[in-house]
Amino acid sequence: MSNASLIFNIHQSLPMKLECAANCDAGDLLAIVGTSGAGKTSVLRVLAGLMKPESGRIQVGNEVWFDSQEHIFVPARDRHVGMVFQNYALMPHLDAIHNVALSLMHLPKHERLIKAQQWLNHVQLSSDQQVRHPHQLSGGQQQRVAIARALAREPKLLLLDEPFSAVDQMTRQDLYQLMIDMRKSLGIPIVLVTHDLREASLMADQLVVMDDGVVLQAGSPGIIHGSPRNARVADLLGIQNRFQGEWLGPSSTPGYGSLRWIGMSSTDAQPDGPILTVRDKGKIKAGQQVNWVIPGDGIELWHSENLNAAQFQATVIQAQDLGEITMAKLSCSDLPGYIVNVTMTGKKRGRIKEGESLPIFLDQNLIHVMPFKY
Amino acid sequence: MDWQALGLSLKLAGLTLLILLPLGIWVGRMLAYSNFSGKSFIEALIVLPLVLPPTVLGYYLLVSLGGASGLGSWLKEVLGIQLSFSFMGLLVASMIFNIPFIVQPTQRAFDNVPKQLIDAGAVSGLSAWQTFLYIELPLVWPGVLSAAVLTFVHTLGEFGVVLMMGGNIPGETKTIAISIYDRVQAFDFESADRMSLLLLLLSLSAVAVSFFAAAKIMRKPKR
Repeated sequence: MSNASLIFNIHQSLPMKLECAANCDAGDLLAIVGTSGAGKTSVLRVLAGLMKPESGRIQVGNEVWFDSQEHIFVPARDRHVGMVFQNYALMPHLDAIHNVALSLMHLPKHERLIKAQQWLNHVQLSSDQQVRHPHQLSGGQQQRVAIARALAREPKLLLLDEPFSAVDQMTRQDLYQLMIDMRKSLGIPIVLVTHDLREASLMADQLVVMDDGVVLQAGSPGIIHGSPRNARVADLLGIQNRFQGEWLGPSSTPGYGSLRWIGMSSTDAQPDGPILTVRDKGKIKAGQQVNWVIPGDGIELWHSENLNAAQFQATVIQAQDLGEITMAKLSCSDLPGYIVNVTMTGKKRGRIKEGESLPIFLDQNLIHVMPFKY
Repeated sequence: MDWQALGLSLKLAGLTLLILLPLGIWVGRMLAYSNFSGKSFIEALIVLPLVLPPTVLGYYLLVSLGGASGLGSWLKEVLGIQLSFSFMGLLVASMIFNIPFIVQPTQRAFDNVPKQLIDAGAVSGLSAWQTFLYIELPLVWPGVLSAAVLTFVHTLGEFGVVLMMGGNIPGETKTIAISIYDRVQAFDFESADRMSLLLLLLSLSAVAVSFFAAAKIMRKPKR
């Protein structure tokens, strides 16, 4: 951890449950992901000093902003936090420059306006746009003003609350680039709250998956995607291919176990479903019902050179062309309930036709088994 | 035209507004932002002068603040202030019956300030006073302006409470509304006509100015 890192743990039971602890190094981006009502914005408000939790500790670098045991609570105005609010929270009665100048009230008026202008130039807002009021700016331009206002505070921590939710896809790509460019140069911890997992995975060094006010899993996007802790995390991450199975215990290969693939509903259950040989972490007892997931990277169609892949014959039951991607549903082994979803890009997707029978390969090394919860 | 009565009415309305406006902004803001037990009771109490017949309100003010009351005699003995049948009494009465006119629109205006903007001010490092000055006040001013206009015009035309509390003393408590009544009683319809028309025009222009200003701030320029 560098000397400008964010380290926090917060606990609260009323009015809503909130349990969250994480660290974020300077220059890193921590994304808090969850559905609405998961408590992610509350965590951001606590970090900003807009809400006081029952207990916990928040430290940025050497500064302690909150410590319930030591009775320390630094109010928002003294924290030097830059915050980009959902819907931006720009002052409707002020033009872009004066909105940014609000963060610079400690400077003399003349200097304040020059500095505000510099920050707006930095986020690439033209001088013509700088003198417009928020309602005269597009969503993306308003967003840039909000970012400039947050940065003008010379923050020790940058907080982004669903910052890209209200802009169109094209603007969003530009803003991602702006954020990615600024990230390392700022050299401060950044916490992003979003319900869009793709966005979080694109930008974050670390993900925190929240549900009902508690952290379900935290870690790097790769690890969380590859090994979600449970079915709820898999659902929240939007993992398409989640199946049920029965853990049969260790297989003959050391470090591997046998997993029987079971159809999704009881009517689909096949007592003699296919058996997969997957990595065994030794945490699950033989005979236990399990959930298992396989990421998109672990699925290949037509042919595979992977010796660890399990091969099935599958029928394309649906193929939907969505512009640059095609989403297909394939029924494995002609058994109901054994449906695999595949998202395809590139030239190959043109070959997939509904009703076609083709071989499908599942990389057993990428299969992740989780305890059955519901 | 009873210029003295008109001058007295304008003085009364101006002073009432001057004292009541900061007070009304403070109470309206507090009621909009805070939640406490008994808030509904206070809100009901504030509305009371609006629904009470002015003569009833005037009567209660007279008996509670008049020389015969405990408070009235204390004020007279200790501070040498007589409230019944005096301009000072009129001012106090005028402030009380105008409370709902100033507090309610102000409270509604503060209610409409998005909480997120206040939070954004705090995160930007603004003190509570700076947040009030640079964020809240510019957003609530149409509401405050209409409250001020309502209060001013209402004081100018109030009759029942003024008559009960102040009586009809020229130069001291005889306001323009009482003067109009006086003239009608004396069958001097020409004077009553002129004064009524003046009051009508004054009220109309004040209301028009407040509506125009509110509409102007609400209207967003086209892109």
